[in-house]
Amino acid sequence: MEAEAVRLLAAGLAIGLGAIGPGIGIGILGYGAMQGLARNPEARGPIQTNMMIAIALTEAIGIYALIVAIILALL
Amino acid sequence: MTEPKKRRGCLGCSFPILIIIIVVFSTLTIVGFLAGPIGQNLFSSFGVNIDMPDWITVPAPEPHLPAPELFKLFGFIPVTNTIIASWFTVIVLVVVSVVVTRRMKIVPGRLQTAFEGILGWLFDLCKSIAGDANARRFFAVIATIFLYVVFNAWLSLIPGFGSIIYGTGGHEYELIRGANTDVNTPLALALFSFFFVAYFGIGSLGIGWFKQYFNFGPFFRSVGGVFKGKLDFMGIFSGAIEIFVGGLELLSRFITIISFTFRLFGNMTAGEILLLITAFLVPYILALPFYGLELLIGAIQGFIFAGLTLVFVTMAVTPHSEESH
Repeated sequence: MEAEAVRLLAAGLAIGLGAIGPGIGIGILGYGAMQGLARNPEARGPIQTNMMIAIALTEAIGIYALIVAIILALL
Repeated sequence: MTEPKKRRGCLGCSFPILIIIIVVFSTLTIVGFLAGPIGQNLFSSFGVNIDMPDWITVPAPEPHLPAPELFKLFGFIPVTNTIIASWFTVIVLVVVSVVVTRRMKIVPGRLQTAFEGILGWLFDLCKSIAGDANARRFFAVIATIFLYVVFNAWLSLIPGFGSIIYGTGGHEYELIRGANTDVNTPLALALFSFFFVAYFGIGSLGIGWFKQYFNFGPFFRSVGGVFKGKLDFMGIFSGAIEIFVGGLELLSRFITIISFTFRLFGNMTAGEILLLITAFLVPYILALPFYGLELLIGAIQGFIFAGLTLVFVTMAVTPHSEESH
């Protein structure tokens, strides 16, 4: 296969497979936050803040995959 | 007795204004749909060819990832389009600060209240993570990082960023681009926070701060115990593991620089490319919800950067309470 075709294929695979992990991870985080909120509705502030921090850290992993895909496709 | 005329309508607008808004919105939707590539291809497959004038269609986006150098300042300093954007951010921050603090009143006006709210929230964040004693020391740097990242991200949404074209050397580049979309700005902030943590770690623990990375103490103590007659395999084993863990901690300290850089760079660049592509697909309408997303992501990324720096510097300053020997 030519290099150009493989490059575009690799870009698609990079972001496609790379978004599976963070997607599941953020889902698990949301699940935990919902459970905590259901057990203790008064702790809404700290639960929300910590959930935001954890989600942003998990999402960063997906962004690394996106960077690789962008570099492959456009550079 | 006549009753006052009732305002019918929804969302707080009276009926005529609602009608005007709906009409303008649907016109923009239809025009945008026809001017973008979706509408063009849809109608050309039916054989109908709709020609839109040049000032309605949006050209296909071509993002230049390494920021292009525009001109040289004083003859030898290269200036890229992201540097111009970061100067703009600095000027906006300085001007706003001067205007807010020029005539400070005890009962503040609206702008002063807004900025007191932002800085008060940041100070509460510092106090909740770092404790009351340390919050004052760390607050200046944390607030600087937060305000710089957030204003870089938000000011890059103003119309004009990425659309004013500057032709130089045969190519046409955008005159201003958001400063966070260049790898160098997040890298500079990440290095800055690395040296910030190192400075406060050494300042509070002395040279002992390096001992957590080169942890040869327990291993050599156990080996020395062999020569004294005490054969302590568990001690030797856990000492070896402690050396390994220390090396991993050192490596992880350097990896956080890269992780900070690419988290901020990736979020901002992906957001910019997303806006360009949605502006290309259905020109006037599809980009609106994504502008909202960009506002939210800019604020969250600034909060994450400043918050993580604060957590690392707090961990560096508190004395280790886990002496397990």
